Amino acid sequence: MVIELSGYIRQTIVKNNRGFRSFHPFVCFLYYIGAAALVMLSKHPVFLFIGAIILVGVNISLDKGKAIRQWWRMLLFVSLFFLIINPLINHRGTHILFYLGQNPIMLEAIIQGVIFSLSLLCLMILFASYNLVITANKFLFLFSKWLPQWALLAMLAMRFVPLLNRRLKEIQQVQKGKGLSVTEGPLKLRAKSGIQLVQILLTWSLEEAIQTADSMTARGYGIKKRSRYTPYQMRQKDWLALGYITLLGSVSIYGWYLGDNVLAINPILETIGLIGREWFFLLIFVIYIGFPLIIEGREAFIWHYWNRKM
Amino acid sequence: MARHQVILMSSAIILTVMLILITLFIQHHYMLASVLFVILTFLPFVIRFERRKISGRELVLLAVLSAIAAVSRVPFASIPSVQPTTFVIIITGLALGAESGFVVGALAALVSNLFLGQGPWTPWQMYSWGMIGLAAGLLRHTKFMKWSIGRYIFGFISGILFGWVMNIWIFMGNIEQITISHILASFGTSFYFDLAHAVSNVFFLAVFGKAWIKILLRFKKKYGLLDH
Repeated sequence: MVIELSGYIRQTIVKNNRGFRSFHPFVCFLYYIGAAALVMLSKHPVFLFIGAIILVGVNISLDKGKAIRQWWRMLLFVSLFFLIINPLINHRGTHILFYLGQNPIMLEAIIQGVIFSLSLLCLMILFASYNLVITANKFLFLFSKWLPQWALLAMLAMRFVPLLNRRLKEIQQVQKGKGLSVTEGPLKLRAKSGIQLVQILLTWSLEEAIQTADSMTARGYGIKKRSRYTPYQMRQKDWLALGYITLLGSVSIYGWYLGDNVLAINPILETIGLIGREWFFLLIFVIYIGFPLIIEGREAFIWHYWNRKM
Repeated sequence: MARHQVILMSSAIILTVMLILITLFIQHHYMLASVLFVILTFLPFVIRFERRKISGRELVLLAVLSAIAAVSRVPFASIPSVQPTTFVIIITGLALGAESGFVVGALAALVSNLFLGQGPWTPWQMYSWGMIGLAAGLLRHTKFMKWSIGRYIFGFISGILFGWVMNIWIFMGNIEQITISHILASFGTSFYFDLAHAVSNVFFLAVFGKAWIKILLRFKKKYGLLDH
């Protein structure tokens, strides 16, 4: 057990010290804000399709696609829902493809449905990798800079979650002896005994909380400014990445402003193929979204090269 | 209490002005407008709490309540779409006041997402649960909330509204192309879950509401916490 645990911890530490995850949390966070904005703003099927492929690639490079495999049902459901529902309820446009009963099915509506569901898909895949990169620890680090009191509160609450879970299990075992069950019996009774468990947890934990608080005070809570558990520092590569992200992000948003990242649908349907300047903005979009992939790829390449040299 | 009301009044005025401005001038920027709306209703309370000097005991009490609200869905895993998180948040608001209700609501959402994985829905969850706690706290001395059926109505409405706000994140990026029928379609698919949520809120409030408020009030009195 001990060996297993230390192996796991070592693995996480190694994972967090390399590739995209080794950048300063602020840099990674900024990338995700920009990427989410771009994915929502660029309403062009070509942009979004390529974006989705790159984001899947990012996930694969980070955890071999484990997170997506866990989520795929939800990804599929949400994106298919809007892909199908849009042509059925949206009848604006000029290109009638066919009739479904009384309803004309429009080409415009189908394209819009594709854009809509691709954009949602990209957003969800993006968050799958967000959860791998911005771990709770890094998130709280970011938080503690601007909202220290909230961050402390969140950390405390987070610390209580596993503890309360364990307590709940204990309570459940004891209550089972009294015949209180959440899994069997009529729904009303199950809900009642469920909340009874939570009530016992409440009274137990409230009294305990006072003890925790007093021990915090005894250890000097509130006397000095709090230090951080993991002190991240901006290094040269973080500043470079910051520049890269801001520059490409703003150029890409400028492309959206010019209308090159967006497929015009109403009143006149633009051709889906890209022309002229749109290729340039697609390139910018791709190298922005693909930033983690570039970093991970570069490291894999260097690793490979070093192996060859040895 | 006075400063609290000043903040509340000023944010209400700002929001009204904003709503009027939107309808008059920037009709097509719904996305920007709704994000601004959320930020303007959310941030004042976030900052207000951040500025407050709070004792260790109060801090830990709020943290424990948020953790309980987040964990309370665990025993209900076997009953789909029933969870008492909203109930715990409403009770906190009723017993400990608007600010505590807000903090516990927003924090419960954040903490449970730190464990379950964050997504585009995290801010919306924080917003809705925070606002439910806030509203429960603000209304706690009114006749309506003293009346037990009034509390049930509050629980029901907050369950339905929570589901509606949670649907919004799906439309965020595409709000310009959204028609009423889109929104109706998505509300229709989630209606069963929203209704289950609302009904379970009423059930919990009816069966356990009074006992929980008593527990929290007694605890508050015993240790002299969160008295403004």
